[in-house]
Amino acid sequence: MAEEKKGRAVATSTAASIPKFVRGNMSATLKAKEEGKKVAAAFIADGQDEIMRAMDIVPAWGESFSGVCAAKRDAEKYLQKAESDNFSRSLCTYATCNIGFDMMREELGQAPEGAPWGGMARPDMMLGNGQLLCDPRFKWPQATQHYQQDVPVFVTNMYYPPWDPNGDHHEVEALYVKYAKEELHETVKFCEKITGKKMDWDRLAKTVELSDKTWDLFIDTYELRKHIPTPMDTGDAMNTMVPLTFNLGTQEAYDFYVSLKAELEQKIADGVGVANPEKFRVIWAAGLPSWFALGDFQYFNSKGVVFPVEVTYRGCEKIERLDLPKTNDPLEHIAWRWVRYWTHWYDAAKKRPGSTPKVERIIEYIEDYNCDGAVFHSAFSCRSWHAGIMQQAATLKKVYKDIPILIMEGDIVDISSYNEADTHNRIDAFIETLAASKARKG
Amino acid sequence: MDYFAGVDIGSTMTKVVIVRGDKIETSLIGPTGPEHRKLANRVMEEALGQARLSFDDLTYIVATGYGRINVPFADRQITEITCHAKGLQSLLPSVKTVIDVGGQDCKGIKILNGKVMNFVMNDKCAAGTGRFLEIIADSLGVPLNKIGEISLTADKIAPVSSTCTVFAEAEIISRLATGESIANLLAGIHDAVATRIAALVKKLNVEPDIAVTGGGAKNIGLVKALGSKFGRELLVPPEPLITGALGAALMGKDIYERYAAEGQRPSRSGKKLEEATFFA
Repeated sequence: MAEEKKGRAVATSTAASIPKFVRGNMSATLKAKEEGKKVAAAFIADGQDEIMRAMDIVPAWGESFSGVCAAKRDAEKYLQKAESDNFSRSLCTYATCNIGFDMMREELGQAPEGAPWGGMARPDMMLGNGQLLCDPRFKWPQATQHYQQDVPVFVTNMYYPPWDPNGDHHEVEALYVKYAKEELHETVKFCEKITGKKMDWDRLAKTVELSDKTWDLFIDTYELRKHIPTPMDTGDAMNTMVPLTFNLGTQEAYDFYVSLKAELEQKIADGVGVANPEKFRVIWAAGLPSWFALGDFQYFNSKGVVFPVEVTYRGCEKIERLDLPKTNDPLEHIAWRWVRYWTHWYDAAKKRPGSTPKVERIIEYIEDYNCDGAVFHSAFSCRSWHAGIMQQAATLKKVYKDIPILIMEGDIVDISSYNEADTHNRIDAFIETLAASKARKG
Repeated sequence: MDYFAGVDIGSTMTKVVIVRGDKIETSLIGPTGPEHRKLANRVMEEALGQARLSFDDLTYIVATGYGRINVPFADRQITEITCHAKGLQSLLPSVKTVIDVGGQDCKGIKILNGKVMNFVMNDKCAAGTGRFLEIIADSLGVPLNKIGEISLTADKIAPVSSTCTVFAEAEIISRLATGESIANLLAGIHDAVATRIAALVKKLNVEPDIAVTGGGAKNIGLVKALGSKFGRELLVPPEPLITGALGAALMGKDIYERYAAEGQRPSRSGKKLEEATFFA
């Protein structure tokens, strides 16, 4: 049985439409069979979105499923199921929750009763992508294949040049792009084999073009949050990231941001902010949120603290800022976009001794969005991101300035890591630190 | 001259301080417990009786600590982080880093002119808190208030490898069975706790002087062990348990004086010395 969950309001009415999006994505996997479509277990930010969309492959997003279970405070049974086969809780709980669900579905021959929104369909293939963003991507598909041995797995690798303050990444970028492009080509071949259909390259090109437009629109929309008072904060952004993250390359995703942009423009015109009065502006500087505790953003808001910007789920940039080489090959374009998305902070980081691209990105946002402090969330099971958070926070203070920083501790899915009273106590202390810092500056 | 009160409801102990000017008029420490939290008013009543004051004599009351929201008669709630910084400034003005070892958590606080610059907390794990020492004292059959002194009589530190309270307890019992002395084991336990606390606090840019507060500061063995981790002697205020409550009372005084400077007087109307009623 699900634990009691407090309701959470969102500040924008556009964000309120997000549950329909998420439910639609999960339902699409269940309907796919009757529509003659193939389902792929898929992972976000892998550069494979447009390939799937252009081939009518329906993505079954494991991370989304686990996040929904966590938000409904109903993940424990899946975590325990995975744990019963010795999957440790210190593994990614997105993965273990999803694997636990897969195990149950295989045992029962259908989605277990009470699975959120009917759960997700058994995939026809799994598209993994081991890359620098997230280490479970290498093993998660293979681990869950133990329980679905007839489902073919294809794990690609997408890399970008590692940060080297003394090196010139521009010299090696093309090599990484070439490698990524080949991996994407192999993905297409694999998908063609499973679906029995050939890629429609014109359709892929149009899908990529639509994605680029969505990237641009997303940034134009989010940059409206620079306004004081901010019309939208991270509490909403953890919802409004869904179309970009899970529906890239679809008209629905683009249309969503058209609506969101219009709403934010209206709020600005009406002088409506998230908090009234807006006392402090802080950046969500790193980390996935605790999906079971999104109400904590409202707790911040109730104390006059807003998050006009976040690093998390801002998985795009204005295309012109990436300065992408022209190409007629949509896969090469995806590869360049992928590599440059990660490397385009490198040059700025080099100009600030001791800085790193991740820290430079935080500094850029702090400046652009006029932030007074920074909040990092260290989710224990998300190792690949959260390893290094303390160092990032320390570097930020060292190379930028001594701004108030809050390190929150928890997890993305595992609610046993969470204590609301302790969390709110930390938040209160952080807000007092923000006030003291502002008073010192006069 | 006005009286200001601070009420610090910690996870284990409840503390009340009443100040007049900058001078402590009275202080009181009692166990929190589930019922005491409900009855914060009784602790305040006792403190008022001790100071021969009535509730209406108090000009402003600030509640702090884990249970601060359970004090309906307080005028303001402020976290113990801020209150510790304020309290320490008045007691030991040279202190720039505070280590507060409470019953259920542990904090490191960086302060400048009585204001919090930065803080770190461990509220996730009993290791590194007073609870850890309580459990171990119980396992060894030694009174909690004696373990620090006994640890200092050790001829060597018997290392305790487990940082988990439950496993450390099991390890202690098995080490006793192999003939290790209680003093050596307690030295090992204090060293393990100090190591854990130091690792947390060193995330701050630690600057001297360093002070220890909270129940842990009453344990001489822990204070010495912590001192060895920071390579210096640590300061301990005369009554380390009341730092937060004192800070709360002084914060109340500051707030009141800010109002007064603007020609205002914060209204206490409607505030009654009564128990929290929002419990089931």
